[in-house]
Formats: sequence, C-alpha cells, structure tokens
Amino acid sequence: MAIFPSIESSPEFDKLIENYPDVLKSLFGIAEGSSITSGAGYLDVELFSLMLPLLVLVLAIGSGARTFAGEEDAGRLELVLSYPVRRRDAVLAKGAAVAAEIVLVCAAAGLAIALLDPLVGLDLSFGHLGGAILSLAALGVLHGWTALAVGATAPSRALAIGVPASVAVAGYLVNGLHELAGWLDPFRFLSPFWLLGSSPLQGGIDAWGTFVVFAVSIAVLAAGSLLVERRDLEAP
Amino acid sequence: MPERVASTIAAEMAESPAVETVGLSKTYEGRVHALIGLDLRVERGEVFGYLGPNGAGKSTTIRLLMGLIHPTSGSAALFGADTRTKGLTSRRSVGYLPGDLRLADRLTGREQLESLARLRGSLDAPLRDELCERLDVELDRPIRQLSKGNRQKLGLVQAFMHRPQLVVLDEPTAGLDPLLQGEVRLLLRETVEDGRTVFLSSHSLDEVQHVADRVGIIRSGRLVDVDAVESLRERSLRHVTITFAEPVDPGPFAALDGVRVTGAENSVLKLSAPETTMDALVKVTAHHPVVDLVSQPADLEEIFLELYREVGDGR
Repeated sequence: MAIFPSIESSPEFDKLIENYPDVLKSLFGIAEGSSITSGAGYLDVELFSLMLPLLVLVLAIGSGARTFAGEEDAGRLELVLSYPVRRRDAVLAKGAAVAAEIVLVCAAAGLAIALLDPLVGLDLSFGHLGGAILSLAALGVLHGWTALAVGATAPSRALAIGVPASVAVAGYLVNGLHELAGWLDPFRFLSPFWLLGSSPLQGGIDAWGTFVVFAVSIAVLAAGSLLVERRDLEAP
Repeated sequence: MPERVASTIAAEMAESPAVETVGLSKTYEGRVHALIGLDLRVERGEVFGYLGPNGAGKSTTIRLLMGLIHPTSGSAALFGADTRTKGLTSRRSVGYLPGDLRLADRLTGREQLESLARLRGSLDAPLRDELCERLDVELDRPIRQLSKGNRQKLGLVQAFMHRPQLVVLDEPTAGLDPLLQGEVRLLLRETVEDGRTVFLSSHSLDEVQHVADRVGIIRSGRLVDVDAVESLRERSLRHVTITFAEPVDPGPFAALDGVRVTGAENSVLKLSAPETTMDALVKVTAHHPVVDLVSQPADLEEIFLELYREVGDGR
C-alpha cells in the first residue's frame, strides 16, 4: 500500500494492465474499465482479488477442519461427546466460533485499511470498503462451515480440508474463466466468487449474491449438524 | 401428559437397572463383528467387572453405552433411558473414563476440569477439590507436561466430580502406581455403598476380583459368562515357580487338585495352580528346603484356555 502514491501519478500503469492478456485480467479479477490508479482499483488488484481471499480461505478452512475433524482425529471428542451434550449443538457452537474468528480477522483487515487510507491517500468509500469486507467474510464463512460440516459428516480430516479447498479452487477458476470459456458460463452461478461480485470495493456490495452465499453457508452447516447424529465417532 | 402416565414412567425409571442391553450388536464396516447379541443387566448399587482380553469388545460395548457409536442391532439403556433415542438423558447420569484418554494439552488440569464442568452446567467445587486431594492431582500445570498417570488421575476426577449415578470406567488404573490403584478401589467401594453403580472394564482378573461384585467375561465379541466373583476366584490361575535346594519329586504336587506341572528341571519346579489350592501347595512345598518361590497371576487368555480345557474334559 505504501507504494500507491507513486502508482497513482503514473497513468502508464493503466496502459500496462490494459495490455495484459484477457485471461490474466479476468483471473485476477481486474474488471473491465477498472483502474489501478484509483485507490479502490489498486487495492482490488493488490489485496482483494487474490491475497485477502486466499488468506481468509486458508484461515477459514483450517479453523473449520480443526474444530471437528481435527479434534476427533486427536481423540478429544470422545470425552466431550460422552457428556450430556447434543452433537448437533456442539457442531453449531463450533460453527459460531469459526464464524466469529473469520469476522474478527476480516474486520481487523478492514480497520487496518481504513486507518491507512488517509496516510497513503487511497480515497476509499467507506461504504464500499465495508461491503468488500462483508463479502470477504461471507466467502470465509462458507468455506469454513463447509470444512466443519464435512468433518461432522465423515471422520476424515483430509476430506474436511480437501472438499472446501476444491470448492474454493473450482469457484475461483469458474469465476475467472467463464467469460473466456463459454462452456463454463452456465456454471458461474455456482461460484461463490461470482455471486459475491468481482469488485465490491469499486462497485459496492452485491447484496443478493452475498445473501445467497450466507444462505448456502447456513444450509451446509445445518446439514452437517444433522448428519453428525447418524454416524459413529471414531475411537481415539 | 396425564399425571398417572407420567408417574408410571417415573416409577419405571426408578426401578430400571443401571445398565440393560438387549441383543446389542455392533459390526464395523460391514465386516468385523465387534459385539454379538449382548444381553447384560447391571443392577443398581453393584460394581460390575467387565472382563476380557484386548480386542474382545469391551470398549465397543462401553462406547455403545455412551452413545458414541450406534448399535448395528439391539439396544442399550441406562436407567431405562435408551442410549440412542434418549441419549441426552442417559448420558446425564453417567461419569465416563475412556480407555484411551485424550485431554486438551494446552489447558491446565484446572482449566480442563472447569471446561468439562461447563458442559454439564455446574461444578461441585468441594467434591472436585476432595477428589483432587485424594488422588493427588496436578491441577496447575499444562496437561501436555503431565505423565500418563497424572492425566489418568484427571480423567478419574472428571468421571466422579458430579457424583454420577453410574460410573463407567474403561481400564481405569492404567498408568497408576499401586498406592493410587488402592485409592481408586476405595473410591469404587464408596460409590456403591452410596447406592450408586460402577461398570468397570479390565483385561486383568486381578484388578477386577478385589473390587467387583459380579463379573461378566467377554471374548471375541460374545459374553461368555456372568458370575459372582467368588466362583471366578476358583478359576484364577497362578504360575508358580519354586526353586528347591535339591531336586524333588513332582508327583505329590501334581496330585493336588487343579495343579498342573508345566516344567520340572533339576531343582526348579514350574506349576500352574488355582488360587484356591495355594495353601495346600505351600504346605507340600514346605516338606523340602526352599530357595525361592515366585507366584504370578496368569493372564486372562490362559484362564480361558483352562476354562475351555475343563469343559472339554467334561465331555
């Protein structure tokens, strides 16, 4: 972020980016007509199109997989679930903790960007920044809860990490390539990245898409909390 | 619910046994028959020893009772509450010590006990403190720094600290020194004197016979026998190795009831003998000058072999 002032004053950067192949532009979420020399456009390219989602996904999937599949793997659920606790309540409580962790980290990132804004002159809209942070949190919660729900359904830490990681990679690629590869286009609705919009920081939050992502997250967690009752807990 | 029906149910609950299983079976992955048609009834106020070699199905039974795994067929109930359909109720009255205890390594003992107590909603602090004192529990060090024995003590405290109506212990004295094993035995006796119930699994007859009222023996997933402890003691074998000052005739030893001579070399005599003939054995031994006498309990597998041999002889 500290080098933004030098980029802002050089329009050549926009030309440079304009000359990037379409594949790269669309993969990195550089929207048509967006400008790296605007504060929001710069942050989109530098942070919001890849870096922050990647960090949040790693954190979310790790946290979601650790809290159930990891605990079961370590044999620590044996004692906890022998207590008068409903398994589904345990899953829901763990879901709340995973979501809280993600929201906290996203809020901290948003706060840091908001505090740095006046120092480097990004000139951001705080409404759009809030929207971008919320979209980021929605992305994290979806994948974190998927990791938790998969771990609750099947006793496998590999699946609890692998399934949401595959969802993330597939979602990212579909969103990045659907405009270039026509056969992918019908699947774009399945990509959380597409649903959340290519650039809430510049264009504002996609309220409907974000709502859908949260709704799917809740459905996934609910499914996990029901399926966990049916299965055997692995012995330590 | 009409009042009469409610009171009938309450009365049934009050009379139902601590543990009751009907045709309880568990098959893993469609192949391994871990438990086959277990019919078991543990009355209130007794210490029930659940005895079997490793892999016989003890832990499977206990994990079924705790609702951690679901039966393939049959059912289990604690105080009349089915472990599958009324799991929350059935688990409320139980304290459980897993056979392979895993605690939260980063917490201290105190934090671990408090976090577990929160799952029940309340903590009986005086009882916890009394148990910790009796078992000499290390409360303020992180669990990862504790030895196996010290972790096991924490596991025992959490199983007893809410004064449960039923205590289910899977190999409870593993890793404990003899002094503490004695303390645990005392704790179990006090529990049943209080009218409460203990379900104790072990692979060691010696561990069970001093504390249990009745013993169930399980082998390869089947309940072989349920018996009072006294009758088991008659089957309780000892391996006795006697070193004499001079070679002796094994004849008089072999003539003792139930004694088998398994080896006689020079002045060393090896025997297997039931605990009940120890007195007679020592008296015969005393006719000769003795250098050394070692008596060790046979393991359960050998007692089974002896059991089956007897059955075979009877035919």
